[in-house]
Amino acid sequence: MALLEGRNLRKTYRLGRHNTVDALRGVDVVVGAGEMIAIMGPSGSGKSTLMHILGLLHGPDTDGGPTPELTFAGRDMVALDDGERTRIRAREMGFVFQDFNLVPTLTALENVMLACDYAGRGGSAGRAAATEALGIVGLSDRHGHRPSELSGGEQQRVAIARALVNQPNLILADEPTGNLDSEHTEEILGILRRFNRERGQTFILVTHDSDVGAVCDRVIRMRDGRIRPEPVPVPPPVAPPIEPVAPERIAVVAGS
Amino acid sequence: MRYLRNLARRPVRTTLTIMGITIGIWALVVFGSMANKINALVSGGSTYYADKIEVTASSGSTGGFSSAPMSLSVADAVRAVDGVDVVSPAVMLLMDEQPTTVNMGVPPMITGSVAGSDEGRDDFVLRYAEGRALTPADEGSSVTVLGSDIARKYDKHVGDTIDLRGTRFEVVGVLEPTLTAPDQAASLPLEAAQLLYFQSLPAVVQTGLHPLELATTMTVYLDPGADPETVADRIETQVPDVATMTGKDFDQQIGSATSILNAILVGIALISLAVGGLSVVNTMAMSIAERTREIGIKRAIGGSRTRIVRELVLEAGLIGLIGGLIGLALGAVVVYLGDEAGRSSGTVLFELTLGTAVTAVAFSTILGAIAGFVPAVHAARLDPVTALRYE
Repeated sequence: MALLEGRNLRKTYRLGRHNTVDALRGVDVVVGAGEMIAIMGPSGSGKSTLMHILGLLHGPDTDGGPTPELTFAGRDMVALDDGERTRIRAREMGFVFQDFNLVPTLTALENVMLACDYAGRGGSAGRAAATEALGIVGLSDRHGHRPSELSGGEQQRVAIARALVNQPNLILADEPTGNLDSEHTEEILGILRRFNRERGQTFILVTHDSDVGAVCDRVIRMRDGRIRPEPVPVPPPVAPPIEPVAPERIAVVAGS
Repeated sequence: MRYLRNLARRPVRTTLTIMGITIGIWALVVFGSMANKINALVSGGSTYYADKIEVTASSGSTGGFSSAPMSLSVADAVRAVDGVDVVSPAVMLLMDEQPTTVNMGVPPMITGSVAGSDEGRDDFVLRYAEGRALTPADEGSSVTVLGSDIARKYDKHVGDTIDLRGTRFEVVGVLEPTLTAPDQAASLPLEAAQLLYFQSLPAVVQTGLHPLELATTMTVYLDPGADPETVADRIETQVPDVATMTGKDFDQQIGSATSILNAILVGIALISLAVGGLSVVNTMAMSIAERTREIGIKRAIGGSRTRIVRELVLEAGLIGLIGGLIGLALGAVVVYLGDEAGRSSGTVLFELTLGTAVTAVAFSTILGAIAGFVPAVHAARLDPVTALRYE
């Protein structure tokens, strides 16, 4: 069953009077409930714009082409006003960003509680949920730390706790591992994958890292504001490929 | 707590902004207290002159206080006017022969009248801190009741003696503060005041006058239901060479002058507050610009525009509140020190009321919140994605 369904999604940014960028030129996309998908593509391919529209941060353009459609959990999202979109973002979606984007003056716990608060769960209920969420990402001992006192990996785990604390159906992550080394990348991807499997939450990851794409169920590739069609599978070559020679063997040969 | 932490991000800037508000509120508290004192004096006078008429000699009458002599026989002529019930003659003269200091409000005065000559009509309540009131039996003796400021200035108590215009008087009573004219007065029996007054007149004027036939002012109490303005007009037409002053005249003469002064004082304070308020606008605008990205985060994860505006307005209001409280505290110190210093010289300039204090702090808080509102609304309208990209 589709959790998120978009058709004719277009977005043109107007940078100046005569300078417009067609970031998204008509995209159809269906995301099934419980899927973990990656949106990949080079810079300027429209992958972030697509995520912003799917995450209700921007509305799709309604003029200059076929009428766009966007449904989330069976409800039409195109006609919603800013307040209603904000409410859905708060209660039914979670966001993870490349730069962690924690509020610098708040402690780890308060950052997570902020999301509870926005979702209408304040006070002790929010505190309990935030404490639990931090525990799940392995930061039980870091409650009172400010973002500046945490490593990049820890900050991103706080951000994930914040995205997951309201147990949303959909989590959108924009380059979640973009600022992390490979060790922390694996750790973060492991957490996301675990939630996807254990709780059936849907994840949309925007990335240009093929390692991230590799752990996902499906990869949507974008270029120039459009989704690239799946490549036709190339038939395997008839002749077996030549085994590459390991460098140490070359060294052995050279030295003999 | 979170708001305090936000303010602590830029401690120097926050401090400077708070200082701007502090100075404004400080000025409002100090000038407001000065205006309070003036208002207390005026409303005291206004109450005093309500429903009675002051009669003075028409020559040299200024603002109801006249130094020109009248004959006591004028009292009989006034008493004969229709609508007049009781006439109480009195002698008033400045306490200092040559006033050396410029006084705010009322200068120190010597007043003399026969105790009880108002026949119980004067309802201005005087309370005695020490001693007793003057009685008709005091006529002919050198005794005085001192107003609170005079007693304090000269450090006099019941049983002490005080020199008034070169004559020694025994203090028999000291009044509680009234915040208006009686604080700055020494009350004498009529005869004693008449003698002092006679001595103060130039020799040319003294000729042909008898000291005990003199008065400078007469307080007229009216028949029930009589209109003060009508009776005052009648007195001026029927009694030669007198001028009258009613409560309405007092309000027009003194009241309008003081309300202009008050407007100037409060105006200065408000201008300094406006400057302080603008500095809050500036600080909030800068602080919000620095936090553009953070506002983007909050909007993205589901913070509504209303929430964003509320947080920022509360933060700006907190700047106003802190500035207001510090300003009030500093203002209160100035008022206290100023009054302590002034009391010894008999000039109490300030009166800080609870109303002024509450108004000043509430005003600065609201001012801060309003100053934060425009930048806050601007911030909340930002597109979250653009705000997130902001460096």
